[in-house]
Amino acid sequence: MKNIIILFAFLVVISCKNDDEGATKTFGNIELNFNNSIDNTPIVLEETSYTNKSNETYTISELKYIISNIVLIKANKEEFKYPVADSYFVINEAKSESKKITLNSIPEGEYTKIRFGFGVDQSKYPFESGTANFIPTAEENQMLWNWAAGYKFIKFEGMYTANGGSNTDFLIHVGSHGTTLDNYQEITLELPSALTIEKSKSPEIVINVDIAKIFDGINTLSLEQKNSIQVDPVYAPKVAENISTMFSTGVSN
Amino acid sequence: MKLLSYITLILIGVACSSDKDNYVPIENEKLEFTVPANFPEPSYDITLNPPTQKGFELGKKLFYEGQLASDGVIACGFCHIQDFAFTHHTHIVSHGVGGALGTRNAQPLHNMAFMKEFTWDGAAIHLDLQPIIPITAEVEMNETFNNVIKKLEAQPEYVKLFAEAFEDQKINSDNMLKAISQFMIMMISANTKYDKIERNEGSVFTENEAAGFELFKSKCASCHQGTLFTDQTYRNNGLPVDLQYNDIGRKRVTGEETDIYKFKVPSLRNIELTFPYMHDGRFKTLDDVLNHYSDGMVDSETIDPILKNEDGSLGIPMTTQEKLLIIAFLKTLTDDDFVNDNRFSEF
Repeated sequence: MKNIIILFAFLVVISCKNDDEGATKTFGNIELNFNNSIDNTPIVLEETSYTNKSNETYTISELKYIISNIVLIKANKEEFKYPVADSYFVINEAKSESKKITLNSIPEGEYTKIRFGFGVDQSKYPFESGTANFIPTAEENQMLWNWAAGYKFIKFEGMYTANGGSNTDFLIHVGSHGTTLDNYQEITLELPSALTIEKSKSPEIVINVDIAKIFDGINTLSLEQKNSIQVDPVYAPKVAENISTMFSTGVSN
Repeated sequence: MKLLSYITLILIGVACSSDKDNYVPIENEKLEFTVPANFPEPSYDITLNPPTQKGFELGKKLFYEGQLASDGVIACGFCHIQDFAFTHHTHIVSHGVGGALGTRNAQPLHNMAFMKEFTWDGAAIHLDLQPIIPITAEVEMNETFNNVIKKLEAQPEYVKLFAEAFEDQKINSDNMLKAISQFMIMMISANTKYDKIERNEGSVFTENEAAGFELFKSKCASCHQGTLFTDQTYRNNGLPVDLQYNDIGRKRVTGEETDIYKFKVPSLRNIELTFPYMHDGRFKTLDDVLNHYSDGMVDSETIDPILKNEDGSLGIPMTTQEKLLIIAFLKTLTDDDFVNDNRFSEF
């Protein structure tokens, strides 16, 4: 009888244990601020014209892209992986609130690097539980294809003129397709200075995104040559490669 | 003693009640997923979404739920009818909301856990993601996940079922897709005459079936390989292009010119029931299919080299008698137990 009582008492203790965990750890928040621009000029949708290195003048009507799998890295290479299921975001130039991502419950410490994904990593998706919950968000932002079970990693559309010609639409939708075309990119950036996370503070990381790089990055892409890039085994990987170079960290204002 | 147990139970309850007031543990039996002895290992990782009784029941209810479509009518089960191995019986192409017509023939659903990619062109690389296509496609169910979730949340029955089926108790797209997958991975069709013979369970082929099997092995099995009767590749089998659809097949997924007009090699299990045939349902009978393979092919850039003969002619040479024998064999791939299995029936 006595043994049973002890056993039950033990059970009571065990069953409540996980509630106490974490009390000793301190967490803070971080705000990621995505700052889309072209050659250091802020983007004004529909209005401002920009010129790429192929001497084509363009305006942008839509600019959206998916950011995922955010990881914060300390100087000693220790990584904090933000919960994957909560780690998918659509950055939409037309919605200022979408360009500020708040990451909660980051363990305190000094972080020196950030790593994130452009698009959705097919090798992980949908295997990590909860990741399919990004579907409604992607859907609201028209970032889903409806003929394929996949995502548009970027939706970049507008009009361009080349060599004084007439105004023509351009459209760039890049994603991964099937098992053959994987355009997911992983981006690692050094923070301008070590970022201290502590309780009740929300420091900001500015991520400058130079959209001009989509045309003029590792590869030079001319709209005259190709003004519609969707499921494209030649051009889509070139766009993705260019995109991998368009992010840099900046100093918050 | 009994009293003491109650007290300690209450103690446990009280001690942990902080933020789990509503949590009531639920009996949710795990379902046994058994790989048939003559089958390969599944492609689907069962450990990541182990089927449970409640998850399966929820998945089945969702499969037959018209609210997954914008018109509240077109459920998955509308185009995937059990009696015909979950195909859209006699429909050349599938029908969607508002009488919309698709461009492809609804494929059978069976042994999905063993398939690596889904749909005729492989546009879904995981079973959990496949339902995104029919749910959101305008010519199919024409609905959004946001709306589906709202509609399900408004029904107390679904609130209860999701809570019983999943630990986090939530109605969300992840749980919805997992439940549908749990239903589909349990849909194993492995009780045909062919299976019983392959597993030495006492059945024997008739003389015609045996002769048909031999012919099948030499003429069909290089693509319709193994016990699943598909090598899961994409091939152009020489169908004349139907200009009404001009369906580019696998190229839509890869963008590669070399994949134009290629379609997934379908499993031949339950083939007797799944007419009409081909990606666009152009052939009504197995006769028509075999006549195509012997005499109907047209040449193109991407036609499968295996269908080209040394003398430059196209097709698989077969006599009328040989075709009859092959069809006799194909009928041993019909699984009556599967199409009559109450576990998968709507009612």
